[in-house]
Amino acid sequence: MKRKSLRFYFRIYRKILAQDIKSKMSYRADFIISTIGMIFTNVAGFISFWILFRRFPSINGWSYHEMLFLYGFSLVSLTPVQCLFDNNWSLRQYVYTGDFIKYCFRPINLFFYFQSEVFDIKGLGQFAFGIGTLVYSWNKIGLDFTPLILLKVIVFLITASLIMIALQNAAAATCFWIQNSFYVLDLVYRFRDYAKYPITIFNPVFKFIFTFVIPIAFIAYYPSLVILRPDDIPLLSWLSPLFGLVFFWLSYKFWMHGALKYNGTGS
Amino acid sequence: MANIIEIKNITKEFKVLNRREGLIGSFKDLFSRNYKTVRAVDNISMTVGQGEIVGYLGPNGAGKSTTIKMMTGVLEPTSGEILVGGNVPYKNRTKNAQEIGVVFGQRSQLWWALPLIESFKILRDIYQIPEQNYKSMLELYQSLVDIEPLLHKPVRQMSLGQRTLSDILAAFLHDPKIVFLDEPTIGLDVSMKSKIRTLIHALNKEKNTTVILTTHDMGDVDALCRRIVIIDKGKMLYDNDIEHLKGFFGSYRTLKIRVDGDLKEQSGVIQGELPDMKVSADDEWISVLVDEDKAKVIDVLGQIQKSRSVRDMKLEEISTEEVIRKIYEEGVK
Repeated sequence: MKRKSLRFYFRIYRKILAQDIKSKMSYRADFIISTIGMIFTNVAGFISFWILFRRFPSINGWSYHEMLFLYGFSLVSLTPVQCLFDNNWSLRQYVYTGDFIKYCFRPINLFFYFQSEVFDIKGLGQFAFGIGTLVYSWNKIGLDFTPLILLKVIVFLITASLIMIALQNAAAATCFWIQNSFYVLDLVYRFRDYAKYPITIFNPVFKFIFTFVIPIAFIAYYPSLVILRPDDIPLLSWLSPLFGLVFFWLSYKFWMHGALKYNGTGS
Repeated sequence: MANIIEIKNITKEFKVLNRREGLIGSFKDLFSRNYKTVRAVDNISMTVGQGEIVGYLGPNGAGKSTTIKMMTGVLEPTSGEILVGGNVPYKNRTKNAQEIGVVFGQRSQLWWALPLIESFKILRDIYQIPEQNYKSMLELYQSLVDIEPLLHKPVRQMSLGQRTLSDILAAFLHDPKIVFLDEPTIGLDVSMKSKIRTLIHALNKEKNTTVILTTHDMGDVDALCRRIVIIDKGKMLYDNDIEHLKGFFGSYRTLKIRVDGDLKEQSGVIQGELPDMKVSADDEWISVLVDEDKAKVIDVLGQIQKSRSVRDMKLEEISTEEVIRKIYEEGVK
């Protein structure tokens, strides 16, 4: 049998997505409440950010609006992981109860099949919020708006997303080996909060950790440098798209390795 | 009849941690781990032809699930060969998945939030079922079960029976060569059980699909299977026709009689008259287990009637369930 093409997977995904959204909308109260909750989460996040910067107009040479740019950038780059890979949060439960086995019997990619099952619509609000913040800070900083810079932003947003997805995949996949993988996942989830800040504010140890061990510095900091500090771009910034792809590929391999050695519980 | 499944001497071993007892024991386990090897499936061989329905039986923990997982490609055998529809399942899991259907009685594989018809459409795309086949399959379903009320209902709102029915329909949708059914009637009421048995039977007849059925319900076995395979502790105990099974322990029938007087006391007396047979009594009946190879039931009854009058009697065939239980408990001699 021939390998299934990317188009094949896109078509399947589109159908599952359409059905999923349709069924979610049919639970109206649920839909409205989660939308409101999402708005509040974002507003609260922004307020705490704003309070912090009223006290410190600049951090380590980063102005308020530059920090806002970083903030918006991280919100947008977190959208794909939120929307498309949210089922990773349930992976642990599926594995623990043995329900994961149901994903093993379809003639399509296991990783794809598992992730396609859930689309978290709440992520879209975060996306809108992030884009708003990004546009606003862009204006305030007075950045140019050229096709090249737009291209850069898009490439680096994708890069950042890939890294975030990779981190979450890897963290979620630990449940194939350990019982309490929730803490691993939660740890990564909490760490990503630090992605909003320029890495230079941390001490060298954390700087090293956030660059090479849990590479959250690639989520917003290194990519933003390309846009915000065009005169002095470290090599790591240019390498970050490559890092993104490599991290994503590694995390996928790790996830699949766990999934294929999975053998379920008795029944 | 071509063989669709060929299994030759497969064995599956698991490494299991020998856990120590108590808190201190758990602490020790952290540092020195002591594994033992458990053989879940031990040197099993069998072949299954296209279109057969095979009852795959065994007590809990016998190794049934492990065998099924090896046939579906989820597990790799430790040793031995396994071919399902010409594929080595664990080496070519995706290709194997295209040829098989799987139903776990208690675990729906359908999209929880979607109505059944939408699940069917997605499955049509995943398995790349030609439009013609898809349509004719739906027509077949319509002729077999009352599918209309199910089609537009989200799976999460279905009753367990409806869900199982839907899962079975979904498993057959891409016209697989083999369908594995793991306890499909577990937890269902009598009428739903019979509906599901009829459906499985009809689909097997219509599509010549091979069905491997694990169950603890002998009703399923009696209704569907001509051949049964029994395993216990990983070893094959029995692989033959179901008729053959009933003669397995000799051709036993149980003669039940009611006589005047205390049944317990009377049964003792009768036991004395019939030393070759097993006589027992409960509150209502005296039971005499008759080995028909040795004596005819009618002669036994005659002998009993010589010295007392029998008020009532009935004759019980040994059921599949009893035979299976005997095999589980005593093994095969």
